[in-house]
Amino acid sequence: MQIRLSNLKPTYMSEAELSASDIYLQKEVVFEKGKKYLIKANSGHGKSSVLNFIYGSNYNYTGKVDYSSKEDSIFNLRKTEISYVFQDFKLFPSLTLFENIQLKNKLTHYKSSGQIEELIEKMQLTHRRDSLVGTLSLGQRQRVAIIRALCQPFNFLLLDEPFSHLDSSNIKIIVDILNKELEERQASVIITALDNLPFIEFDKTINL
Amino acid sequence: MLVKLQKKTLVKIQLIGYILTLFIGVFIVLTTLQLYQDVKPLISEQTDVFSDKSAVISKEVSVFKSVNKDRIYFSSEEIEELRDQPFIKDVSIFNNADFRIKAYSKQSENIPLFQTDLFFESIPDAYIDVKTEDWIWKENDEVVPIIIPENYLKLYNFGFAESQGLPVLSKNTISQITFNLKVSGNFSSEVFKSRIVGFSNKINSILVPETFLEYTNSKFGRSKKSRISRLLVTFNNPTDERILQFFNENNYSINKDKLEFSKLSFFFNSALVFVIAVALIILVLSIAFILLSFNLIIQKNKAMISNLGAIGYSYKSISKFYQVVISAATIIAIFPAIILGVYVRNLYLDKIEALFEFSEERSYIVIFGISILAVLCIVYSIVILKKIKAIVMPQRY
Repeated sequence: MQIRLSNLKPTYMSEAELSASDIYLQKEVVFEKGKKYLIKANSGHGKSSVLNFIYGSNYNYTGKVDYSSKEDSIFNLRKTEISYVFQDFKLFPSLTLFENIQLKNKLTHYKSSGQIEELIEKMQLTHRRDSLVGTLSLGQRQRVAIIRALCQPFNFLLLDEPFSHLDSSNIKIIVDILNKELEERQASVIITALDNLPFIEFDKTINL
Repeated sequence: MLVKLQKKTLVKIQLIGYILTLFIGVFIVLTTLQLYQDVKPLISEQTDVFSDKSAVISKEVSVFKSVNKDRIYFSSEEIEELRDQPFIKDVSIFNNADFRIKAYSKQSENIPLFQTDLFFESIPDAYIDVKTEDWIWKENDEVVPIIIPENYLKLYNFGFAESQGLPVLSKNTISQITFNLKVSGNFSSEVFKSRIVGFSNKINSILVPETFLEYTNSKFGRSKKSRISRLLVTFNNPTDERILQFFNENNYSINKDKLEFSKLSFFFNSALVFVIAVALIILVLSIAFILLSFNLIIQKNKAMISNLGAIGYSYKSISKFYQVVISAATIIAIFPAIILGVYVRNLYLDKIEALFEFSEERSYIVIFGISILAVLCIVYSIVILKKIKAIVMPQRY
């Protein structure tokens, strides 16, 4: 699977704002399977937008996003091809940490309970397993969102500023887990960040 | 997990309110419609009880009219107007005798001596409710058959005979008695024999065959002018409300008993329509209420629903829970309403059957109730699906 963006332009941004971009208004940008991409930009330059365009949760753009995938429904694509760690996590505060992860896993049946427990433990969240997500800190929520995103098959994993609320020891743990999961699936990752992320070896860094 | 998450969004008290109001609305609508269906044959013409579709009408007699008698007669225009009324099937005319009539018995005959003045009228045979072979008169026939109202016999038996010390008479006895008729007018007279051959419930007059009246009127009649003071009208549907209204407007007097029932059925129909209208309002309000309630639930949990879509749940699977809940609530309301409706119908059928000769109509409660259920479930499902789709699917703006 490939993701191919051509002449992409958010309808709510002017061409002048996008003139320096390596993605927007480019004739063709291709994300290939099995590679690690970093999309770097200051805030307000449309980092989340580009991930939302790829994920199909925002249609306010001109140009084209092409998946070269058999899946025609956006919901099937989200279940089997693309996983997304949202900047605002999109967790359900009225469910516990474990239930939030299960909610996703019930849909895909990708991981066993044991595997989920193991991920929770690695992320050092076992003591909060049955706490309502509403009571967790931002950093804890961020880790829950990452575990949840891993509970499905995917070819592309999208992470929107995934380390913004985390300390370096936690980042290290997450990077290890991500590397392992990506390797298992032979999948790509597209990460957005404000700055370079030295603890990940990227195949390509794109300035937005 | 999805169910657990969505269950928390429901407002139980609103669901219960919906179930209760829908139950009441559907129950009343079903039962009253069925009641109307069941009682319709009773209030319209089909059964024996109210089979009488005709009535005698005349003009109101007032102080002025008693002097100038012309005003109690119907003109041919007025008769035409009556014929043109949509609720009137037919109008037939009473011919009346334009001569003097005396009925009497002679000493020699085996009946008490009596002598009385009479009047005669005639109407076409088709409108006479007494069927008898004797109802025939040709010129030169000696005996003239007469039909009198059954009320007259009752009046005689229970009133007159009592006070005068006379014997009571059965219909049969009366039919055996032959008496004399002296018809006079136009400076001549003739004597006939006469016999009562029947008693009418419908026509409040003393009737002779039309042929007899034609013959005698031409021979003894004082004026050649036709003077129609009474009409027999046949209605399409005697319960039609317009009948009373029309007669009141034209100041026609109608044998009121006949139309008492029309009034009654008017009130019954009005009451039923009122009840059905109120029940329909309840029904519509309960539907509007639950739609509003679900709309609020969906709007309140917009973020949750859109997040579910974001992690891969399709709008169909998100809608399913709400569709099931609203359908279940509708079933919980409508099934008991159907059962109660059928039960209440059996109660009133027992009552009606005990009072009237009554053939049971088909029951529409179950089929109608299930139709309402099906329509509501489909409408709700579509509305919910559309609302959730609008939230989950990304919007262009």
